[in-house]
Parts: sequence; structure tokens; C-alpha cells
Amino acid sequence: MDKPAPTHQNKTPTKPEALSREERKKQLEFQNEAVVHLHSLYNYALHITMNPDDAEDLVQETYLKAYRFFNSFERGTNCKAWLFKILKNNYINRFRKNSKEPGKVDYDLIKDFYHSIKDTRRDSSEADTDYFHSLLHEEVYQALHSLPEEFREVIQLCDIEGFTYEEIANMVDSPIGTVRSRLYRGRKLLRVQLEEYARKYGFNTSKDQ
Amino acid sequence: MSAAVDGEISFKEEKGFLSHLSECKGCCEEFDDAKKTKMIIKERILQFKAPQALIDSIMQLTNCNT
Repeated sequence: MDKPAPTHQNKTPTKPEALSREERKKQLEFQNEAVVHLHSLYNYALHITMNPDDAEDLVQETYLKAYRFFNSFERGTNCKAWLFKILKNNYINRFRKNSKEPGKVDYDLIKDFYHSIKDTRRDSSEADTDYFHSLLHEEVYQALHSLPEEFREVIQLCDIEGFTYEEIANMVDSPIGTVRSRLYRGRKLLRVQLEEYARKYGFNTSKDQ
Repeated sequence: MSAAVDGEISFKEEKGFLSHLSECKGCCEEFDDAKKTKMIIKERILQFKAPQALIDSIMQLTNCNT
């Protein structure tokens, strides 16, 4: 650590202290396979910690661990799923123990959090007459976070992250049938919540059009 | 139902499911609702960019792992 990192101006490889070819290869592969999922991991971490600092810590720790155990990653399988699993385990070990009771959601906290970061990126404003589509990001976000964790989790992994049932089952340590039924029940609960929001904000929720 | 929404059913299952939908209004509505709910989540949850400091530190991790 007493020398600055070498710049790669001349391409002569393998100084004695330089990284081995093996290590170099691992780094490159890690970047291509794992680092590309950084934004997804960060977003997921935000969802589960609801705190940007904790999310950063969690992602950092996940990548440290992933790099250390990268050899045990089964090549050809979904690296994103592997990273999510590590992140989730880290979260359970580090954060959940001293957090508030599961299932209790602090709406003010969510609201503050959402406001504090939502201006960093906004999507296009779509015009849609469907009342569901009239709901704002924030309402959808709150509805999602009002679900019990076991439902919210599978919905996030499936609908936002696009994992397959098999990958989700592995991540949450449950059979595929359980994932399927949680998705089913979770979406039903979510719909009730969304309809409530829609009604609250004055949209017509009657089904017959 | 979920499996159909998520494209996790086999071709054969799907055929059976679709033919049931054509006869059952209740399931048909539920199927539409479930699809809609999935879409809402997919579209309406904002995705944020990771902070640059975090990106840098992870790049660092894989560039000069000491």
C-alpha cells in the first residue's frame, strides 16, 4: 500500500508485485458478471432497508463477499440471483435483528425517504386514463410497502427484478409452490391497497365501464 | 393464475388455462387484474441510480484488491 496503483501506460505485464494473471482474469469476469448488477442491487437494498446509507453499506458488503467467494459462483447460472441471495443473507444477519417489528410500516418514514430521493430520476409522464395508471409512484410504493414482507419480497423479485420462480424459490428458501401462492395472494392484497389509494384520490374504481 | 401471469406455465397448461378463461368471467377478470397489478409494479416503482461513491468503491474493490 505504500506505492500508488500502477498506471497502465506501458503494457508490459507481470511485474513481481503485479496481480497474477489468474487474479486479473477473476477481476475482469467479476466486473462483467457481477458489477453490472450494481444498480439493481442498490435499488433492492433501498427497498429493504429504506435508508440510503444502510443500502450502500449492504451493497458494499455484498460485493466484498461476492468477490471473495466468486469461485463458488456456479458459472452459467444467473449471477444477479446469486448476488441477491448474498445481499439478502447479509441483510438478515446485519440489519433485521435490530430493526422494528416486521410487518409494521412507518408511512412517514417511507414518505420522507421517497421524497428525499425521488427527484434524482423521474420517468416520462405517461397519459393514461386507467385509474391504476393515474396513481403516482409514491402511492404504488406505499402500497407495496404496506404488504407483509413475505409477499412484498416475492413481488419485488418477480415483477421488478424479473427473476424466475425457481430463482426466487432459491432466494427465499421456499418451494416454488409457496412462491407461486405468495405471488397470488400478494397481488390480491396489493390490488386492494391500490384501489384504496385510487378511491382516496378520487379516481373512479368501478369496474363496469 | 400467477404462473400464467408470469409466463411460468407450460404450453399445454396454458392451453387449458386459456380455454377455461374463455368460459369463466370471474377468472378472466381476475387474470386481467393480476396482470395489471404486475404491470403497475413494474412500471411505477422508480429505479434509482446508485451513488457514484458506491460505484467507485466497488470498482476499486475489483481493480486493486489488496
